[in-house]
Amino acid sequence: MSSGSIAVSDYCRGIWRTRFFWLSLVKMDLRTRYRRSMLGIGWSLLHPVAMTIVLCTIFSKLFGQPWREYGPYVLSGMALWNYFAGVTVDGCQSFLQGESYIRQHPAPLAIYPLRTTLSAGFHFLLALVVVLVFTWCVHGFGNLPALTALLPVLLLLFVFGWAVSCCVSILNVMFQDTQHLVMVAMQILFYITPVFYPAEMLRERNLAWIVDYNPLAGFMEMIRQPVLTGQLPIFPGVGLAVATTVFVSLIATIGLARMQQRLIFHL
Amino acid sequence: MAHIQLDNVGLTFHVRRGGRVGLKEFLVRGMFRRSAENWLTVEALRDINLQIRQGERVGVIGKNGAGKTSLLKLLAGVYPPTSGRRGVEGSVSSLFEITLGFEPDASGWENIKYRGYLQGESPRSIRAKAQSIADFCELGDFLNMPVRYYSTGMTVRLAFAIATAVEPQILLVDESLSAGDLAFQKRARRRMKKLMSEASLVVLVSHDLEAVSNVCDRVILLDGGRIRQDGPADEVIATYQQGFATAHGKAA
Repeated sequence: MSSGSIAVSDYCRGIWRTRFFWLSLVKMDLRTRYRRSMLGIGWSLLHPVAMTIVLCTIFSKLFGQPWREYGPYVLSGMALWNYFAGVTVDGCQSFLQGESYIRQHPAPLAIYPLRTTLSAGFHFLLALVVVLVFTWCVHGFGNLPALTALLPVLLLLFVFGWAVSCCVSILNVMFQDTQHLVMVAMQILFYITPVFYPAEMLRERNLAWIVDYNPLAGFMEMIRQPVLTGQLPIFPGVGLAVATTVFVSLIATIGLARMQQRLIFHL
Repeated sequence: MAHIQLDNVGLTFHVRRGGRVGLKEFLVRGMFRRSAENWLTVEALRDINLQIRQGERVGVIGKNGAGKTSLLKLLAGVYPPTSGRRGVEGSVSSLFEITLGFEPDASGWENIKYRGYLQGESPRSIRAKAQSIADFCELGDFLNMPVRYYSTGMTVRLAFAIATAVEPQILLVDESLSAGDLAFQKRARRRMKKLMSEASLVVLVSHDLEAVSNVCDRVILLDGGRIRQDGPADEVIATYQQGFATAHGKAA
């Protein structure tokens, strides 16, 4: 047990020691994405905003919801969903992207999924600012104590995202069709997670279990309650989201421990 | 103190015959329990017992596929040993596959930073070194250009300049670095000489026997993943040349 904890602290020190390396790669990823211009940032936000406008015109009528309510709801959903899609679909490529570094220099493997997660996370934060500004424009300034509750939520989302991209990137090294399967899974999840429809609609139609047993729905609520309604994110779904994060982190830890010495042979 | 110790080290690769498989295929195969046939075992290194002390200059020679590069990568920590124990003390710098691992969309300057950070530099220390790296590779304004547009020769220049900018205790070198134009080759060779004389422990893998005998006082001859001979440079090189000659004689 003690040798295990020494190994863990060594591993964390290794991540810390290489911080300049992965941070500079994250910076590069962001710069490539935003192409060094303000327009670039606007361009990258175009996807969630355009989706929101389209969904707003169609579904606010269909669901009988005023756009003032529905607009921020959908935009926050799309922002978080893009983060999930980033850490899973792009997360698959983490090790393959860093293959030449792995071949040259021994470093903790977790830094490569970390790179993917941090770029996706930065993107999400940017979109979240847009959501906040949008909500304030429509409804006035929100509840500050509730907004501070976003910090632990964001931390949880970060750990969840990092763990997930560790898992899928390990799988992707072992099996080449992982990314394809992950994309299919994410497509399915998109429709059974309340991203663009209100969760209450499922509850009213006796489909509450789809929301109640879906940890992604829990994350959605945890972001939406502080931002949209100014409430503290305290509800049963939080427990499921936390439990899922712990579970995925555990799998990621086991996977990384097994692969640290083996991954190179599979690349 | 730089020190290398290998005890009974073995390195075995399990290679998939048909490359990477899909998850679907794996699940289907798994049900019929036939996945074992698809693996090929390659023993790259066997029973390696080796001790290299501070101050030693060791050359590694042998035919292609004898395990030279595997040994070097094992020493660098890229390949973990599949059996036995590997102990390496001291800061390691390795010069192999140096032209890999550039970010194609980033400029030369940025790649200097990324590589430097991976080699353990901090923003402050790399800022001091970046200029000397730039001076050595003489790429000038090309450093502001994405590495994607570099020719092979330019990439080698940059890679060599970065990789040799550190002052390691243990230096691991694979093959002679032959690309680049003549003037650069000369300077590269000078710098290699300087590096090798300053590092406290050098392991050099090369096919150039003359270079090996110039630099190294001790030579290891690898054959089929095992150490065939380990001793003074001229003795081992003589064995190798004899073996090589008779093998050729038989073939002819």
